[in-house]
Amino acid sequence: MLITCPYCGPRDVIEFTYQGDGNRERPEPASQNFEAWNAYVYDRLNPAGDHNEIWQHSGGCRSHLRVVRNTLTHEISSVAFARGDHGPRRKMEGKS
Amino acid sequence: MVERLSPLEPDFHPGSHGNFEHGVDVILTETRPGSIVQLAAWPGEEKKLIAAIRAVTGLALPDGAGGGISSGGKSVFGFAPGKFTVADDAEGLAEAFAKAVGPAIGTVTDLSHGRTVIRIAGPKAEWVLAKFFAIDFALPAFPVGSGRSTAHHDVFAQIHRSGTDQFDIHVFRSFARSFWKALCHASEEVGYEVQ
Amino acid sequence: MSPRRIETGNRIDRLKTIRFTFDGAAYTGHAGDTLASALLANGVTLFGRSFKYHRPRGLLSAGVEEPNALVTVLRGDVREPNIAATMVEIHDGLVAISQNRFPSLSWDINAVNQLGGKILSAGFYYKTFMGPVIGPFKGTRFWMFCEHFIRRAAGLGRAGSAADPARYERMNAFCDVLVVGSGPAGLMAAKAAADQGARVILAELDPRFGGSANWSDETIDGLPSADWARRAVKQLEGHDNVRLLPRTTVWGYYDNNTLAALERVSDHKENPGKGEPLHRYWAIRAGSVVLATGAFERPLVFPGNDRPGVMLAHAAERYANEFGVLPGDKVALFTNNDSAYRSALALKKAGAQIVAIADVRPELSGDVRKLAEETEAEILTGHAVIATEGGRALTGLKLQRFDMANGGLTGDARSIHADCLLMSGGWSPTIHLASQAGARAEWSPARQAFLPPQPTQKWIGAGAFTGSFSTAEAIAEGRAAGLAAAGGSSTPTALPSVEAAPGDPDPAPVFEIRAKGKSFVDFQHDVTAEDVRLAHREGFVSVEHLKRYTTLGMATDQGKSSNVPGLSIMAEALGKPIPEVGTTRFRPPFAPVSIGSLAAERFGDLKPERLTPMHDWHVDNGATMYSAGLWYRPMIYGLSGETIEQAYVREARATRETAGIVDVSTLGKIAIQGPDAAEFLDRVYTNMFSTLAVGKARYGLMLREDGFAFDDGTTWRLGEQDFLMTTTTANAGKVMQHLEYFLDVIWPELKVHVTSVTDQWAGAAIGGPKARQILAASVTGTAVDNVTLPFMGIVRGEISGVPVMICRLSFSGEMAFEVYCGAGYGTHVWETLVAAGKPFGLVTYGLEALGTMRIEKGHVTGAEIDGRTTARDLHLDWMLSKKKPFIGSAMMDREGLVSSDRLELVGLMALDNRPLNGGAHIVEELDEANPHGSIGHITACCYSPALGKHIALALVKGGKARHGTRAHVSDPLRNRFGPVEIVSNHFYDPDGSRMHG
Ligand SMILES: [Zn+2]
Repeated sequence: MLITCPYCGPRDVIEFTYQGDGNRERPEPASQNFEAWNAYVYDRLNPAGDHNEIWQHSGGCRSHLRVVRNTLTHEISSVAFARGDHGPRRKMEGKS
Repeated sequence: MVERLSPLEPDFHPGSHGNFEHGVDVILTETRPGSIVQLAAWPGEEKKLIAAIRAVTGLALPDGAGGGISSGGKSVFGFAPGKFTVADDAEGLAEAFAKAVGPAIGTVTDLSHGRTVIRIAGPKAEWVLAKFFAIDFALPAFPVGSGRSTAHHDVFAQIHRSGTDQFDIHVFRSFARSFWKALCHASEEVGYEVQ
Repeated sequence: MSPRRIETGNRIDRLKTIRFTFDGAAYTGHAGDTLASALLANGVTLFGRSFKYHRPRGLLSAGVEEPNALVTVLRGDVREPNIAATMVEIHDGLVAISQNRFPSLSWDINAVNQLGGKILSAGFYYKTFMGPVIGPFKGTRFWMFCEHFIRRAAGLGRAGSAADPARYERMNAFCDVLVVGSGPAGLMAAKAAADQGARVILAELDPRFGGSANWSDETIDGLPSADWARRAVKQLEGHDNVRLLPRTTVWGYYDNNTLAALERVSDHKENPGKGEPLHRYWAIRAGSVVLATGAFERPLVFPGNDRPGVMLAHAAERYANEFGVLPGDKVALFTNNDSAYRSALALKKAGAQIVAIADVRPELSGDVRKLAEETEAEILTGHAVIATEGGRALTGLKLQRFDMANGGLTGDARSIHADCLLMSGGWSPTIHLASQAGARAEWSPARQAFLPPQPTQKWIGAGAFTGSFSTAEAIAEGRAAGLAAAGGSSTPTALPSVEAAPGDPDPAPVFEIRAKGKSFVDFQHDVTAEDVRLAHREGFVSVEHLKRYTTLGMATDQGKSSNVPGLSIMAEALGKPIPEVGTTRFRPPFAPVSIGSLAAERFGDLKPERLTPMHDWHVDNGATMYSAGLWYRPMIYGLSGETIEQAYVREARATRETAGIVDVSTLGKIAIQGPDAAEFLDRVYTNMFSTLAVGKARYGLMLREDGFAFDDGTTWRLGEQDFLMTTTTANAGKVMQHLEYFLDVIWPELKVHVTSVTDQWAGAAIGGPKARQILAASVTGTAVDNVTLPFMGIVRGEISGVPVMICRLSFSGEMAFEVYCGAGYGTHVWETLVAAGKPFGLVTYGLEALGTMRIEKGHVTGAEIDGRTTARDLHLDWMLSKKKPFIGSAMMDREGLVSSDRLELVGLMALDNRPLNGGAHIVEELDEANPHGSIGHITACCYSPALGKHIALALVKGGKARHGTRAHVSDPLRNRFGPVEIVSNHFYDPDGSRMHG
């Protein structure tokens, strides 16, 4: 499996670390809403199909990426920096 | 000033090694820059940081991710969004950048002791490096001057292509000897010289 | 000359004689020979014994699909089992042995298994050895009795136990076009793609490029096809954008057009070059792939089809044309299709007598009849082979009239003398890689074969792989595929012309001749046609179940030759057409792969070692090094004759009495920089850091999001916006990722950069009553007195010319200082401090003494912060700020995390004066024989020189409430039971007067 890092280009999955379900929303730091905290810490979606995931390019530029990956086919339909558009992007060649 | 100790010392054996009877196809060496500095810009401040790099080193960074350049004992390349590694044969780069890069632009981190730079040069440099790293070393994909962040198992590496057949590999100092030994081992097949 | 060597053979070099041994006997062959061809040339027909019945077996094929002739190659003490003799290139000194025979190949005691054929039928193992005991010779217990004998008799080669000194390597490669297979289609594809300027890799599993052109006797572009192939390869060699990989099997097709290949770099060499690997594992990322993998010829299924001397038709043609070996003098042919006639003719030309051609079809086309007549054989259309004769070699066969329409055999059986029987059941495209890449294969009723599926990845097929079995088609499709793969368009130039024997590519739909005797479908696993039918009778209808029950296609050849005949028999039994029975999906690897190649450079060589700047000093000065994760750290600096315990007790005692110095460079160090650095630390740590003054350090605790303790360490404020965080050695990487995650994903608005600076700094901790004096004697540029350098203060100065940063903090509980300098100066500073300390009695100490002193002080480390403990469990609740939220603050007060029966940190003292063990349980009752009711466990233990007792830290239910009570340690595995007193974890100097000085 390859993930195309917006900075580094397509890299083997072994350079990346899975950092969890990208659908989670962290409550406000001071929130006392225990349900919301519980959902954030423990609940995970497990779709058969497109899934929002966070991956860190830990063996590369170390950016965290928001990745949309199909859990059935491993097909990745989108990759973006988790912290928003940042810095120059590599122009992808259409080949792989 | 006291001399810095190289982490490669006991395993650094100048001379020809491996299958060198028909000539050596790579040369391995440690470049030992006087300073290595990591610069990181806040979002939106990259241009100012690039200008500061030019002001301090005289090096004009080309556009694009992983862009870089080297000249006159100095080199710079991007290794992550808004982040650059600068190396200089001379010491004192961190102090110079501390003055040139204000807190509004970004941060300066001195890594002069923290990274070891191993140079591999020669016609088989790409071949040997391809044993370690799953990145495309061919010139069109990895132009001269540019940099790449990658890893070989647990060993992080920033690789700077400092010439057509020449790569400078920045590794964590604590891993440097282990990586050096592996690099020598992998170079035996093509014959190598340590300089 | 060897008995079967003839004048043809374009692969071997007759001027080079090679000596090798097989089963201890010396043989000679020629350069270019495989072990199979060389032995065949020497008249060897028996190559091995079969898996289950120990039947004698010879060569079925000449290539990678070989199921019978498996050998073990010996390199010194290293055994490489289950290698097809057809794939072993001989070299001087090659030592190979046959497998699966006892005591010898020609006289095999287990051949009696043939007599008990019924017992060893399909599902034998399941039926006999699984489940409960019913009767005396059944069930799992019976298996335990029989296992030894069965394991000896069954199975393939035996793995060795000697360490393999060979080198294995990984190579990462990138290309625009990967061409797999180098027959006419592959050569044309590579050439076309290369001419477009694409980066091309051409992989061929044989030592020579050319595939069928090497043995087909056809003419391409007016040249003998083998010469045409040589010329094409020469042209490719001239392109610097082409990488030619001979002896390279592409065995896996993975996501994103990533393919795995095994290059046998030096298997074929007597003396590999220095540094040359035995095998190289290629991980190839290809823009597009051209699959030109050809096709496998299929056997026919009839009684005795496994007898040595019965061979695939094209294999015999290969032996004659490529290797110059005649597999027999009197050759018969049995076929269901036209392609085999060419093979018979090739053997005729090579000097054999073709005694008979049996074809299941009632009639032949005019072209083929002409070919048949050229062989001067007796032509028996509408006939089938119903039996073979002979022992270790074929002596004859029996024929009968055969009606293709109903499979019926009529008339009298007729015997024919022959020492070689060629068989051909038509061809199956080698679609394994395409199948691995995704989609399901499609059945072609005309070809009676599975054709490649629609691509789900970027590949294009060409040649026999697509079911186009003629060379002219292969050439046209190859060029088109190469062009398309390189993104080019068609060229107007003419294609090379081909002169080839005529023939219809479609076989008759006949695979099995049902007559009396064992007819083998899967030669390697000894699966017969009757086994398949038996599986059906017993209710197995799915092809996947059939496969597992009979083990059809599950041997190392992965059913390359048996797949379609097996399915056809299954389909007939089910009364369904083949496509409804379906084929199994092929999975990697296409052919066996050495484990060494997968481990590659990790094989013995590179588990990277992390070394501190003072590593060599430690080793030179008698340290016993200890691996902690990837790091190497001094465990003790033992004096001669000292035990480990004596050494650490001496080191710890000396530190508390005078002073000690320890290398702390492995601590994780992270630069936290930027305008929001203090705010970030307030969120990350449970306690406050924004209030920390510049030039001061503070101990900090981090929790995970779920409220459990995560890591601890001191963080130093070096500037208003500049912090140096230290982490535990083990958690450095995890903490770094934790911080990066929050900055990138949760709080991108914070202006903070984090950088690992662990390797930038060498660190030495010097502690003990004399530490300050030693430091004062070494440091210039700053005072180190209590006013200038109070507890948790930081000063900068120099030690023998090297800039240093000194922080006064203590892990040992003594007055102590951490001295940091640039890593390159680490040894210099360390040596200066050690020399300065000498007059004061300074000792160097290692991890054991460090651990001892921290246990005496009751400090926690990873043994206690084990992912299951909370700040309260560790009595660190004083660090939980109530003034601010922090990571984990919302979850840490959950019911389960504050209950009173949680395991809490306590101290233990052995009351029987015997050592305690890590991991031992704590029980309340004195019942050594039946220890029960664990109330906790020991996390760390030592002999405490300060207390003169064996002590431990433990996590115990109720914790503090038990202080002053007694319990017992129970460690049945190490035979340790004894009384302990539960005490505070702060054993030594609980009010900290020593470190505050
Ligand atoms: Zn990246």
